[in-house]
Amino acid sequence: MKRVLIVDDAATVRMYHRSILESAGYAVEEAWNGIEALEKALDVPFDLYVVDINMPKLDGFGFLRELRQQPIPQQPAIMVSTEAEERDEKAAYQSGANCYLIKPVRQSQLLSHVRLLLGEAIQ
Amino acid sequence: MSPSTKRPLPPNPLLEQFLSEARDLLENTGKKLMQLEEAPDDQEILNELFRGVHTLKGNSGLFTFPEMTRVLHAGEDLLGMVRSGHSTYSRELADRLLDAMDYVGALCGEIETTGEIDASRTAESQQMTEALRKLMPNPISSVDKVAAAGSNGESANSAVPSADDPGYRPSPLGSIPEAVRMAAIEQSRHGDQLHWIVYRPQRECFFHGDDPLNGARQTPGLIWGRVLACEPLPSLAELDTYSCLLGFDLLTNAPREELDQYYRYLPDQVEIAAVRPSWLMNEREEEERPSKASSTASRARSFSDDDEAAFDRILAAQRQILLLEDRPVWHAGRLRSVAEVLANLSQAVGETSARADIEVALEEALSTGHNTLLMAWLDGHKDLMLEAGLPCSEVAKNGISAVHVESIANIGSFLESDPGKLATDDGVKFGRRAEDASSGPRSLKVDQAKIDRLMNLIGELVVEKNALPYLAQRAEVQFGNRELSREIKGNYSVINRIADEMQDAIMQVRMMAVSFVFQRFPRLVRDISRKLGKEVQLVLEGEQTEADKNIIESLADPLIHIVRNSLDHGLETPEVRRACGKPETGKLTIRAAQQADRVVIEIIDDGKGIDPAVIKRKAYERGLIDEVTLERIGDQEAVNLIFAAGLSTAEVVSDLSGRGVGMDVVRSAVEKINGTVVIESELGKGTTIRISLPLSMAVTQVMIIESDGQLFGVPMDNVVETVRVPRSAIRAIKQSLTAVLRGRIVPLKSLNTLLGIPTVPRPNSDDELAILLVQTGSEVFGLMVDGFKETIGLIQKPLNGFLSGLSAYSGSALLGDGSVLMILNVREIV
Amino acid sequence: MPIEFKKNRAVFRDEVSVEEAEGLLEWLQGKPTASADLSALSHLHTANLQVLMAAKTGISSWPKNAELRAWLEPALNSGE
Repeated sequence: MKRVLIVDDAATVRMYHRSILESAGYAVEEAWNGIEALEKALDVPFDLYVVDINMPKLDGFGFLRELRQQPIPQQPAIMVSTEAEERDEKAAYQSGANCYLIKPVRQSQLLSHVRLLLGEAIQ
Repeated sequence: MSPSTKRPLPPNPLLEQFLSEARDLLENTGKKLMQLEEAPDDQEILNELFRGVHTLKGNSGLFTFPEMTRVLHAGEDLLGMVRSGHSTYSRELADRLLDAMDYVGALCGEIETTGEIDASRTAESQQMTEALRKLMPNPISSVDKVAAAGSNGESANSAVPSADDPGYRPSPLGSIPEAVRMAAIEQSRHGDQLHWIVYRPQRECFFHGDDPLNGARQTPGLIWGRVLACEPLPSLAELDTYSCLLGFDLLTNAPREELDQYYRYLPDQVEIAAVRPSWLMNEREEEERPSKASSTASRARSFSDDDEAAFDRILAAQRQILLLEDRPVWHAGRLRSVAEVLANLSQAVGETSARADIEVALEEALSTGHNTLLMAWLDGHKDLMLEAGLPCSEVAKNGISAVHVESIANIGSFLESDPGKLATDDGVKFGRRAEDASSGPRSLKVDQAKIDRLMNLIGELVVEKNALPYLAQRAEVQFGNRELSREIKGNYSVINRIADEMQDAIMQVRMMAVSFVFQRFPRLVRDISRKLGKEVQLVLEGEQTEADKNIIESLADPLIHIVRNSLDHGLETPEVRRACGKPETGKLTIRAAQQADRVVIEIIDDGKGIDPAVIKRKAYERGLIDEVTLERIGDQEAVNLIFAAGLSTAEVVSDLSGRGVGMDVVRSAVEKINGTVVIESELGKGTTIRISLPLSMAVTQVMIIESDGQLFGVPMDNVVETVRVPRSAIRAIKQSLTAVLRGRIVPLKSLNTLLGIPTVPRPNSDDELAILLVQTGSEVFGLMVDGFKETIGLIQKPLNGFLSGLSAYSGSALLGDGSVLMILNVREIV
Repeated sequence: MPIEFKKNRAVFRDEVSVEEAEGLLEWLQGKPTASADLSALSHLHTANLQVLMAAKTGISSWPKNAELRAWLEPALNSGE
């Protein structure tokens, strides 16, 4: 079972993403700030990250930058945000995101991206 | 046992989570707004405020609550403006934001009960939004944003590059003269591996003795090449002759090793890539060549729109990443993730062999620092989608011959000049950028019901353990087994200790800081003082003082009442204060502190104080005290008469504090939780109200007494002493019985009489009566009972239902043998 | 002399090295309408080529050397 790490400081949003991903058959874990997320990522390998930008202690950008320096397999990361400016998307890629989606993400849209990023056959 | 409420709706965990988080966010926002009043320029508070509203807005967007989202959106924009300095803080701004938060809170309440927002709320929502937006300079049209918020990532058609486009530049390979191109194709068809070289000399290369043009001309196997300006050349006046701004593109059929050898001194100025024949071909030729495409066309699948859009988007994103020119420390990791994504994408469309190619390209990128091969792979594999039958984006289709070959050329500058070429989708644009702010420490949220359940279980344990001493007794007395008795007693003491600790532990969990109640006061004081036209400074101290949850919650109403009274009747208007020589701003202090096993709360104001004379007179008029008392009563005692029922000193009944007669209500509420309240006041100077509460409603030490064959409990707090008094020593003075104990006259009351039991106290064999000296407040009296039993600790449960009307008892508890012990409310029975 | 500066034309011969670049630039600054005769050119140091490209100098004759011409003509002929 593929493992996904959801990183967001809003519990409601975490729950929202979790319910979508779990019903699609993924194992989901949560972290509510970048530091927590980093600790978890180093602890157990994940196959995909869904990362919010605004979080206390260490934000999404910071988390990704750190993640991309770790001696672990570098897996795809989706950054989610409410900002839809091009420069925000560019900042996301710069920090190490592979994909940038605007919140709230529709269920089918999220799942399409997740499946593809994980290399699962398109139905 | 917590009562379970039947909800009319099916449980929706996400909604409940939303509401729970919303409560916290609203609370914190309110708090921050109050803090902002004192420090309007504090950036940290502004940031936290913004973040809170932003998160709340984001959460509400997961549901369909447009009335709420609209208002929050406006609030967020407004706060964003204040934060960035485009708007300034003002009282009016704060008021509107507070109103907006109240409104959102009300909506949450509605959602909680009915699951939705009533249509009647729409108008209010518009008004709120307008009110907020009016405060913003050049208000951003919310229409655009809301409209934009509606769409989400639907891919727009990407721009199709064509020769007619002003920004269009022919690809370098496309500018190869026809003859050369054909020849090159021929060569590659015959098995020659062609190479494309991107030579970008260093600016200072002249100083190293390099002549790039010469180097380019001499490149082994050169088929074709061209010179270009890496950046627009400046005018002659500004040109630095010795700075090299030129670059070279070369097509050669020399083997890679030879090229590496040739350029061995310039590895970082040169990019060498193997050329795929298809890159040299145009569309028509592409179709003619025997391609894998036709054979795999049968593999065509139908993909959902979402899948298609996602594929395009992901691919375009990886491309954008590969085009990034910065080389931070995490660049390698970034590249690896891109490679992983590309490999996975291939896997998703069935091209499992691609992974190996990508690995190679990745290694290249990691070692040379140029993403040439990865880009080449990416662009070269746009036909992957065709092969797999995926409909691909316009760019890929049209650009197979032109665009993709640019991957190994100066794509960077080419695309920078015309970003529209990239297959990016959705042009949703917002104007703000939310920022970080710190948030408080996290703790575990536990459902109230779970705590109550734990408490009950522990309560039962505490009671049950009390059975063990009885058992020990029976073992010895009834079964004559002293051994067993001793062992039971031994075990009992261990279990007793553990149970006590557990009891303590659960009480700790239930401990709550008074801030829970205090936090509403800044807002309350602000609103009321404004309404009354008074200037009041509120000081809160000891907010972190803790007490049991029940106690804290029971404290709320009395405190509010007291504060309202203070504001209404205690503190004067600025004019009056000035006339008295006081500072115009009145001071109201609410202080909490722990003293031994009690929590003391003080409410202190520097208002006009209470006039003992007025109180005395009123009390006399109402018949609460007689003439003698009127004469003798001291000032402080008189002031405390204010707690007596039926007393009101307010000349004017204000709608805020009711009739000013609430102090008796306050007292009974406080006493209900085993607390006491007293008043100290000085006319013209101010008033202090002091509430003393037990830390916890935990185990009460109780002495069991017997009367008329029944057992009762008396809280040890009230017990002074147990004495046996000979009947002869009891005197009757007027109607009451008294005895002289320890040099003072103590009135005696028979418990039976007090409880309406028609028996007289039974003396013991020495003709002595058992008297329990008890104290209530400052009074001491003797309670005549039949006998004393042991003292035990137990958890007192308040009387429920119709029994709660029995003021004689403060509660009940279960005894070890299963019987119910009624605990006397000593104060009341007298 | 590798570059002969005539009244309104610079004539390039054989191999023109990096040292000529400054002089070429100054001369061209003073003669915005001048042209260049490259017919006898066998090699041109990159720096000179850069100057010619920046000045957008008109070329009256291209190098006889076909291979060199192939390099220079696209670059000096208005180009991008």
